[in-house]
Amino acid sequence: MADQISLKNIGKTYGTKVKTTVLQDVNLTFARGEYVAIIGQSGSGKSTLLNIISTLDRPTSGEIYAEDKNLTELTENELARFRNQTMGFIFQFHYLLPEFSALDNVLIPYWIGAGRKPPPDKVKLAKNLLERVGMADRMYNKSTDISGGQQQRVAIARALVNRPGIILADEPTGSLDSQTTVEVNKLLREINKDFKTTFIIVTHDRHIAAECDRVVEIVDGRIHKDYLTSGLEENKKWQDLAPVYCRESNGDCNTAGMCPSGKETG
Amino acid sequence: MFELTVALRFLKEGRLQSLLILSGIAIGIAVLIFLNALIGGLQVDLVNQTVGSSPHIAGRNREQEPRSVLGKVQQEPVVSIVATAGSAEKPLRNWTNLQEQLAETGKFTSVSPVINGSGFMILGERSLPVIVKGFDLEEANKIYDIRNKLVDGEFSAGRSAVLIGTELAEELKLSPGSIARLTTPTGETVTVTVSGIFDLGAQAINRSWVILSLPGAQTLFGLQGGITGIEMQVEDVFAADQITRILENRFPELIWSSWQEENANLLSALNSQSASSYLIQAFVLLAVTMGISSVLAVSVVQKSKQIGILKALGITTEGVSRIFLIQGALLGLGGSIIGSMVGWGLITLFLTFVRTETGEALFPITLGPGIFLVSVVVAVFAGMGAAALPARRAAQLNTVEVIKNG
Ligand SMILES: Nc1ncnc2c1ncn2[C@@H]1O[C@H](COP(=O)(O)OP(=O)(O)OP(=O)(O)O)[C@@H](O)[C@H]1O
Ligand SMILES: [Mg+2]
Repeated sequence: MADQISLKNIGKTYGTKVKTTVLQDVNLTFARGEYVAIIGQSGSGKSTLLNIISTLDRPTSGEIYAEDKNLTELTENELARFRNQTMGFIFQFHYLLPEFSALDNVLIPYWIGAGRKPPPDKVKLAKNLLERVGMADRMYNKSTDISGGQQQRVAIARALVNRPGIILADEPTGSLDSQTTVEVNKLLREINKDFKTTFIIVTHDRHIAAECDRVVEIVDGRIHKDYLTSGLEENKKWQDLAPVYCRESNGDCNTAGMCPSGKETG
Repeated sequence: MFELTVALRFLKEGRLQSLLILSGIAIGIAVLIFLNALIGGLQVDLVNQTVGSSPHIAGRNREQEPRSVLGKVQQEPVVSIVATAGSAEKPLRNWTNLQEQLAETGKFTSVSPVINGSGFMILGERSLPVIVKGFDLEEANKIYDIRNKLVDGEFSAGRSAVLIGTELAEELKLSPGSIARLTTPTGETVTVTVSGIFDLGAQAINRSWVILSLPGAQTLFGLQGGITGIEMQVEDVFAADQITRILENRFPELIWSSWQEENANLLSALNSQSASSYLIQAFVLLAVTMGISSVLAVSVVQKSKQIGILKALGITTEGVSRIFLIQGALLGLGGSIIGSMVGWGLITLFLTFVRTETGEALFPITLGPGIFLVSVVVAVFAGMGAAALPARRAAQLNTVEVIKNG
C-alpha cells in the first residue's frame, strides 16, 4: 500500500527567547485506508502533531509529503486548496457555522473548492451524507438549533462532502456523552470501511483507541510506541492502552483492572 | 459567489450592529446630499441673479481701450467694459461673419452684436449723461430679457425710437411717446421718441441706458455698418471662462472677457463656500468610514471562529479578505441608498416648508441622478476602504489559535 502521508524528522518549537520543544524527531507514515489513533498524555503534543499533519500548522523542522508532494514547500493558499480537496476535518467543538443551516454547513467545503453554488447532484450527495449520519430530518435547521452530538454528526458529513482521502479528527467525541461517543465511533469506522478513507484520530477515549487498527503513542513530543492492534486480542489491546489512560487518570481504569483508580479530570 | 453569501449571512446575523451602522451611513450620506444640493442650488441661484441677465462673455475691438465715461456704471462690470466706446473709436467690421462663426460653435444661447457709446439725453434745460446702446433687439433680449422687464410702452427700438430705463424716465419725466434729444460727445444729435420703459433690476442701467436699434446707433456714431463689440451667453455659466480662453486663441483681433473675470469677488466667495462645504462633507465621510471600520473590526473578532474554520476548510486568505471587503461595500451600498432617499426627502421638505414671504421657494434646487450616483459610488468605495484593515486582520488570523481555544 502506498504511503498517503509521510512525516520526516518533524520538529516543532515554540518561542524565540524561551524555547519550548513540543515535537521532536517525529517520523511517521500513514497508508491509505488506515484507521489510526494518536494517544498520549495531555500536553504531550498530540494536537500539535495533528495540526502539522493537517497543514494547519507548519513544523519548525522536517518535511511532510503527501504521496510525493512536499507540503512544506507550498504557500498558504496552495495548502488551503490542498486541504480542501484531500482532507476532511472533525474538531472537538464541532465548529459549524451558526449563520448557516446544517445542509449548508455540509456543502461549505464544496462551495469553497468550486467557488460556486453547489449543483443539485452535490446537494443530493450532502443530503445522503446527512441521512447516513442520521440527520436527515434536521438538515434545514440552523446549526445552532441542534444538540452537540447532532452537530458533530453534521460536522462528520461536512468532512466527507468533498470525498477526501483522509480525515483528521481531534478528539471528535471529546464533548459527547458515552452513548453518543459509541455511536459516532461506529459511524467513523463504517465510513472508513465503506469509503476506504484514512482516519487519524487524536483521542483520550479508549473505546475509540481500542477500535483502531494502529495506535501511535506520544510521550513528551516523541513517538513512544507505534503498533498495529488489528492482530491483537481484545485483552492485549486493553493492556497496551490501559497504562496510558491510567497515567492520565482519565476515568474508568478500574474496569480494566490494571491500575489504581484515578480522579476524573475530563 | 461563496464570499458574498458568507458576507450577507454575517451581516444578517449581526442584525443590531448592521442596522445601527446602516443608519449611521444613511444619515451621513443624507447630510452629504442635502448639503451638496443646498449649496449647489444656492450658488446657481446667486450666479443666476448676478449674470443671468447679462452677457457671460464679451468681445470688443482691440483698438478700443476702455475709457470710462460714467463712473457709476463701473458697478456693472461686464457692461462697463463695453460701455466705453466713443464715436471716434474704430468700429469692428465684417462682424456678420464673426457672429455666424460664433453661432456655429453651438456653445452660445445668444450672440448679440452691440454698439456702445456715450452721450447725453436732453429734454429742455435738463441734460443727463447716458450710455447709448445699439442692439439687435431680439438677440439682445435673449441676454437681458428686456421684453419681460418692460414696465411701460412697447418693446421696440429703431433709428429714432428708444427704450430707456425707469430711473432715466423719472428724472427727465419721460413716458412712452415723449420726445427728447440724444447728443454724442462729438456733437451728433438725433431727436428720439421714447417707445418703452424698462426695469432691468440694476439702478445703474435703469439710469443710464438708452437703447437704439443697431442701424440707429451706427448712424449716430458714424460707424458705417460696424459695431463696437459682441456679447454672448453660454449654456453652462461656469464654462464661460474656459470658452473665453478658446475665443482668445481663435479671434485674437478681439479682446475677450468673461463674467468670472469681472466678478472675482463673487467667485472667491462661492469658492470659499464650496471649500467649507467640501470640508464638512469630507469629515462626514471620514466619520462614516471610521464607523464602518470599527464595526467590521469588532465583527472580525466576533467571527474569528468562523474564519478559522473556513480557513481550515480551504478558503484562501484573499477569500477571507473578500468576505469583509464585501461587507464594507454592502454596508456602503445599503447605507447610501437609504441615505439617498432620506436626503431626497430632506430636500423635498426644505423646498416645501422653507419659503419666502410670498410663498415661493427660496431658490430652485435641481436634483439630478448624478449626485445620488456619486454618493452611492463614494459610499461603496468608502465602505471597502474602511473594510481594508479589518479584512487584513481577518486574513491573518491563525487557524490553529482559533481552533485550540474552543
Ligand atoms: N502557541 C504555543 N506556544 C507555546 N507552547 C505551546 C503553544 N501551543 C502549544 N504549546 C505547548 O505544546 C505542548 C503540546 O500541546 P498540544 O496541544 O499538542 O497537547 P495535546 O497533546 O493535544 O494535549 P491535550 O490532550 O490536552 O489536548 C503543550 O505543552 C503546550 O503547552
Ligand atoms: Mg489537544
